Amino acid sequence: MTVPRFDELIHSPTRLAIVSLLAASEWADFSYIRDTVELSDSALSKQLTTLEQAGYAEIRKGFIGKRPRTSARLTVQGRAAFEQHVAALQQIVVRSGATILPSG
Amino acid sequence: MSDEVSPAEAAQALTDIQLRQQQVIDLATIPVWYWWAVGALMVVLAVGVDLHSPVAIGLTVPVFVVGMLAATGWVVGRAFRHAQLRNGLMDGRAVAAILVFDAIIVGGTIGLAFGLRAAGVGHPATLASVAGGLVMGVGGPVLMRRLRAIMLGNRTGAAR
Repeated sequence: MTVPRFDELIHSPTRLAIVSLLAASEWADFSYIRDTVELSDSALSKQLTTLEQAGYAEIRKGFIGKRPRTSARLTVQGRAAFEQHVAALQQIVVRSGATILPSG
Repeated sequence: MSDEVSPAEAAQALTDIQLRQQQVIDLATIPVWYWWAVGALMVVLAVGVDLHSPVAIGLTVPVFVVGMLAATGWVVGRAFRHAQLRNGLMDGRAVAAILVFDAIIVGGTIGLAFGLRAAGVGHPATLASVAGGLVMGVGGPVLMRRLRAIMLGNRTGAAR
């Protein structure tokens, strides 16, 4: 059972998109995230650094042949925070439904 | 902060989350052409077997191996270059679906080939592989739709 916990860091629209992509991946390539979320290299680097500093993401830099390759993934802590954030969003929606429904 | 998020905004965020995860899942979907290519390569290999000729074997085996490596390499490489699916998206149902599909293709093709051979039908391996290849071409996309549905159901935040 996931305990709902709203996470302001994740909820920013850009980071929410990045974390959602990473949530379905073991590893995601930097260029794939950049193109999918439609960010510049520097903007994505900044967002990934923010997630990394929070302990939510891990960044791996390597080479394929002579070509540099950067990948990212969610850490265990990041995945847990994301699941809690999703649970918090669901709770907001469910609660609103409960208040909208006529009582009795 | 969560108090400031309206239900409509939360619902929109949940929709966005689902769509983003779906993008990664769709990336890993094996294209339809792959199943037909593998089916055709099975037939090529079987023709080599049925001809009982070293030259035919020498020609068809490399075509099969290179074709399989190229087609599979393309599919795997595409996922590797973009994003590797989270293992947790697949579960026992997905493994069972893959095993049943493999059993139908491999068991069905081999069983049919031996049956045709026992019945004295000519070119049993080729005929059985044509049948197996057709099942592969038609059934592969069906398997992928099943796996996709399972993975979508296992997304974070998906309705269970």
